[in-house]
Amino acid sequence: MPKPGEISLAHYGVLFLDEIPEFKRETLELLREPLEDGRITISRVQSSYTYPSKFMLIASMNPCPCGYYGSKEKECTCTIDQVNKYISKLSGPLIDRIDIHIEVQPVKFDDLSSNQEAESSEHIKQRVNKARKIQLERYKNDNIYSNSELTPDLIKKYCKLDEKAKNILKDAFNKLGLSARAHDKVIKLARTIADLEGSKDINFLHVAEAIQYRNLDRKI
Amino acid sequence: MLSQVKSMTLIGIQGFLVNIQVDVSSGLPSWDVVGLPDISIKESKQRVKASIKNIGFNLPSRRIVINLAPANIKKVGSFFDLPIALGILCDLNIINNDDLEDYVIIGELSLDGSINKINGILPMCIEAFRLGIKKAIIPYANRCEASVVKGMEIYPAKHLIEVISHINKSKQINPFLIDLNSILSNNNKTYLDFSSVKGQEKIKRALEIAASGGHNCLLIGSPGSGKTMMAKRLPSILPDLSFNESLEITKIHSIAGIIPQDTPLIVNRPFRNPHHTISKSALVGGRCYAKTR
Repeated sequence: MPKPGEISLAHYGVLFLDEIPEFKRETLELLREPLEDGRITISRVQSSYTYPSKFMLIASMNPCPCGYYGSKEKECTCTIDQVNKYISKLSGPLIDRIDIHIEVQPVKFDDLSSNQEAESSEHIKQRVNKARKIQLERYKNDNIYSNSELTPDLIKKYCKLDEKAKNILKDAFNKLGLSARAHDKVIKLARTIADLEGSKDINFLHVAEAIQYRNLDRKI
Repeated sequence: MLSQVKSMTLIGIQGFLVNIQVDVSSGLPSWDVVGLPDISIKESKQRVKASIKNIGFNLPSRRIVINLAPANIKKVGSFFDLPIALGILCDLNIINNDDLEDYVIIGELSLDGSINKINGILPMCIEAFRLGIKKAIIPYANRCEASVVKGMEIYPAKHLIEVISHINKSKQINPFLIDLNSILSNNNKTYLDFSSVKGQEKIKRALEIAASGGHNCLLIGSPGSGKTMMAKRLPSILPDLSFNESLEITKIHSIAGIIPQDTPLIVNRPFRNPHHTISKSALVGGRCYAKTR
């Protein structure tokens, strides 16, 4: 019998791929179907097995081989070709399946040297738990546990946008050239942001915040 | 004479009931296993023969046929050793076949008759219970995992002799019980804390959203900006698991055989961090060695 792989072992948890462009491209492409369907079917000549794989993909990468493309502190020494080649290790379809793209800026010296304690995980976790409880309650008859698992039908049912929010989404869709999937992802993300606030409806602020997490759509 | 013992196999992460029929009849001495067994089931011949001999019984020189019903489904694993051994002992009139009717029996034997830990006990017990079987005899080392199934009587056994005396009612094994509520609330594993990350409020907010809704997240930044540091702290803010989620995770980990012996249920969300040299099958699943058949 085939053994469950890392993606199934990360079911309902986190799969963290550090330095994602260093992974073999063909290995990364295998993630496409599991990311979409939440399960993987391993077919061999003699039998085929299906394992669940609803994991949360967290990936990290540098913007270019030298690591400083777009940095304010240090000059990037890579050629444009090198940068493009590096980024292209992540295929478009894979990037499209990632809900949040975010640029991490270097820590400022003032932050680093301050004695102020940052917010503890316990505090953050309380908010996260509260938001997740709202989702569990909402989806108790739908056989899912979180916003990321919403299907297009359920999005229609649970994620109603007001006029203003719809307009912002329309603008973003046209300007950023979002795919249909990215469009749904933005709505799901906005749903989570609204849940974190404890808001029943999704308003334009939630959608606006969700859109600004689609960093790479803007660049490509 | 024919005897029947109920056991389980695995299809993916689903348990599947297998009736093990053992027939000992006169004829040239032989040992045949039919019903699409894999190589580890065929090898059970040596383990079963040795353990029956080593606990002091004589295996008759007769023709032994073992059928794994339903015969059209491929069976894998070494967990049929114990039911096969019990089936043969029924034929030898050492135990009574009628006494086995209420039980599902799963376990791998050593040559000396002791019962070894197996993988995938949880999905098997869940399925057995769903089919209305209320009692299970399982390896002692798997007792915590199996006890998660509410309402099922779990009899953990260390040795074949214990099982025989339990079924003959000469010395009963105590059913293993566990308090599920105390396990679920016992999820206070210590993680790295976000309080040691200074600044980076924007990223923390993004990770908070990701954790709340289970969204995928890509962090892009220059070396040393704290991407890995923050990602490694993510488990500390992941939402608590519900019982059903916990059960499903435990099923998969049970099949992979990576649950520690004293852990009945996985109550913390998994955090997997494979290195970038990972192979394709290690990532999505597959065999860990080439099949030799």
